Amino acid sequence: MSTTDAIVLTGVSKSFRKSTIRREHTTLKSELVRWLKRQRQPEAPSSIIPALRSVSLSVPRGKTFGLVGRNGSGKSTLLKLVTGIYAPTSGTVEVHGRISALLELGAGFHPDFSGRENIFVNGIILGMSRREIRGRMDEIIAFSELADFIDEPVRTYSSGMYARLAFAVATHVDPEILLIDEILSVGDEHFGRKSAAKMEEFRKAGKTILLVTHDLGTLQRQCDQAAWLDAGQLKVSGNPVDVVAAYRAAVAEAEMAAMEQHAPRAPVAVQPRSGPPAEAGRRWGSFEAELSGVEIHGRDGPQHVFSADAPFRLLARYRRYGAVEAPQLELNLRTDGGTLVWSTSEKLPDAEAATLTLEMPRLGLGDGNYLVDLSLGTAGGAVYDVHRGLHGFAVRAQDSSGLLAPVHTWSIEPTS
Amino acid sequence: MIRNLRELWQYRALLWNLTQRELKARYRGSALGFLWTFVNPLLLMAVYGLVFGIIQRSNIPHYTYFIFVGLLPWLWFSTSVGSGASTISDRRDLLTKVRFPAQVLPTTVVATNLVNYLLSLPLMVGLGGLVGIWPDFHALAFPVVLLVQLVFTLGVTFVISALNVRFRDLQHIVANVLTLWFFVTPVLYVPNAVPEPFRRLYLIVNPMAVIITSYQGIFYEHRWPHPRGLAAVALGSVVLLAIAARVFERRREEFAELV
Repeated sequence: MSTTDAIVLTGVSKSFRKSTIRREHTTLKSELVRWLKRQRQPEAPSSIIPALRSVSLSVPRGKTFGLVGRNGSGKSTLLKLVTGIYAPTSGTVEVHGRISALLELGAGFHPDFSGRENIFVNGIILGMSRREIRGRMDEIIAFSELADFIDEPVRTYSSGMYARLAFAVATHVDPEILLIDEILSVGDEHFGRKSAAKMEEFRKAGKTILLVTHDLGTLQRQCDQAAWLDAGQLKVSGNPVDVVAAYRAAVAEAEMAAMEQHAPRAPVAVQPRSGPPAEAGRRWGSFEAELSGVEIHGRDGPQHVFSADAPFRLLARYRRYGAVEAPQLELNLRTDGGTLVWSTSEKLPDAEAATLTLEMPRLGLGDGNYLVDLSLGTAGGAVYDVHRGLHGFAVRAQDSSGLLAPVHTWSIEPTS
Repeated sequence: MIRNLRELWQYRALLWNLTQRELKARYRGSALGFLWTFVNPLLLMAVYGLVFGIIQRSNIPHYTYFIFVGLLPWLWFSTSVGSGASTISDRRDLLTKVRFPAQVLPTTVVATNLVNYLLSLPLMVGLGGLVGIWPDFHALAFPVVLLVQLVFTLGVTFVISALNVRFRDLQHIVANVLTLWFFVTPVLYVPNAVPEPFRRLYLIVNPMAVIITSYQGIFYEHRWPHPRGLAAVALGSVVLLAIAARVFERRREEFAELV
């Protein structure tokens, strides 16, 4: 046992019974019937669902640790194990320090009671003593910015006000270890900033924070360490940037797979005359007009890996077959995680054939993998030729992260 | 059991706040407000008084007062057990989100109904005054009986609320059992009305009978509670509470998962 770690999980597994998840409760009646029928067979192993499988991780004291993962990957179960709401099926959970868990805002709030009364009950539930709450009451009310409504029943509050009050109580518990389950995004922008500032204060005060979030930006900005849980298993843990990269790549892959399943089925009978073949989710359309020969070039010809400052050029050939209305080309640039970076469209001339060139003197994108989706159609809804996920490139920038790499200069002059 | 009670003590502030809240919530927004505490027992008393005091004339003197003395503590017990049964299974919002000792929840129910009982005592005393029966020095035994009933009620409520998490139909069974239990408890009649051969058995198997007759002894007949009977119930209640605490301890892990 190391005293430098605030939370240590060793080989923690947690399983739930299927009946529990489906919320099918045993009744005395059914038990009795089962007993009378002498059907006391042991539980089938298939009815046990593992939520966490042998997870080991430690959160160092005073660090902010982020957990990512898709819904149902076991993040919340992990938090509940650390809190002590659940007991692990196997393995051990060690927690060193007073813990406060913000798994849900407003635990124990009663709608008919005033904000002030609810601060009391909620605070006590979160582990404060009555004296502590009395001492911090004014501070909590001030933080919530609900002074005018604090003696009104909570049921009259808007959901934003409700969340503000709950968050105000939760952040005034003054724990040594804080567990947070994606609730930072409560309230309006102003309050969001305030909450972020409060979190920063916690970090500066050397508190240990274990944070579950879907916001990868938050994770990279605020966390010292991170871990990615997938289907109850620890995939990657360590530096947040690496964890986010691994997570993003996996999500992109999963989304691609899903997209292929859900995208409109290409009319397979119609095949384009040029370019890659029609394929569900990747290329489809009526092919009355086509895009072909799409190439991504750098300074001196085809290129796939760029630096942020490099010039970028996209080339394509356009040809129409038969009398179609002059189409419009839509270009969507997105990350491999699916985030739209840029969308633009261009009207094509009323010509049989054309060569299209998109020229960017400086790419200006941050480190990552990108996809260029092209779509040829009309404003009236005709779809001639769609290329999705067919054309991609990568940007490698070591010195920065994020989506953008704008032109910038630093000037730093020592002042005496 | 010690750990169970110590946790309760640690969370006494929560217990107190929840109890207060329960009490306030019950009367907030209702026209009669706090007076509702009295309306329910008064109505029940009126009904039983009408049926057994006037229609089916009972030969117990000051019958309405007699009913009241036994009815109030019975209501404390039955309401606690009845609404305590689902107290853990209904609080999914709390149990799955925060860590706190679950025994606070059934205890809150028992405490709320205890306060209700205590608040309706002046009404009982006043009613006794109307028929000329004021409490005398025998009331000194009242806290003892109250304590015994508290331990017994807590024990029963703990066990049932813990089991109800797994067996959800228990709360409905309990509601029916309580109705039966009421009629085998001497609230509306005196134990002497029970046929001789069953009388002893009747008092042995039904702790509530002993407790209720103790109250009737104190406030109605002006005599001390039967010491051996009460001591036996007290001992039994402590054992029950110890078992209940064990059941609770063993089941608490599953509360958060099953509710």
